[in-house]
Amino acid sequence: MKNRIEAIRKTRGIRQEEFAKALGVSRQTISSLENGRYNPSILLAYRIARYFEMSIEEVFVFEEEDTQ
Amino acid sequence: MRQEKKIIISIIWIVLGITLLSLGIAEVVDSYWSGMGSALTVIGLLQLIRFFRFRKDAEYREAVETETKDERNAFLRNKAWAWAGYLFVLFSAVASIVLKIVGHDILSMGASWAVCLIILFYWGSYMILRKKY
Repeated sequence: MKNRIEAIRKTRGIRQEEFAKALGVSRQTISSLENGRYNPSILLAYRIARYFEMSIEEVFVFEEEDTQ
Repeated sequence: MRQEKKIIISIIWIVLGITLLSLGIAEVVDSYWSGMGSALTVIGLLQLIRFFRFRKDAEYREAVETETKDERNAFLRNKAWAWAGYLFVLFSAVASIVLKIVGHDILSMGASWAVCLIILFYWGSYMILRKKY
């Protein structure tokens, strides 16, 4: 699943370490999420969206091929 | 309470390890048991050192807690176990055939039993998990 985490984070001037700490995950997890190598659980997706004060749909881009 | 339990378990490992090691040195038990004693002592000591560092060093504690709770790490741990299981079945199945061909019938049977056992564990776990989730 594609996401806009990196773009949103950089726009707001948040470092990966800071972001990871706020979410209680490792920096590697943030890196994997941003590269699209790892899809978060619904709970983490929710926490990310809430951190950015956005909706999940604004952060994560669902495409039909993600289900395949 | 959970931390105290960890200390007690570490101490049990160390005591058991030193006992086995001493019995090995006194030649009461063979090198298999004294070797196991050495391993248990080292494991117990490492756990104890880790625990005290965990309690004193806040930065280390935070890093360990993050690594433990991190969902990607949990996902990777599960995936690694799954891969290990697949590889074990594959390796045992190949070993079973090769051992049979070269005439090691008992070892071949052992490898076959290992495959059967792990498949049995897999189905048992699957049935339990199916009811749970």
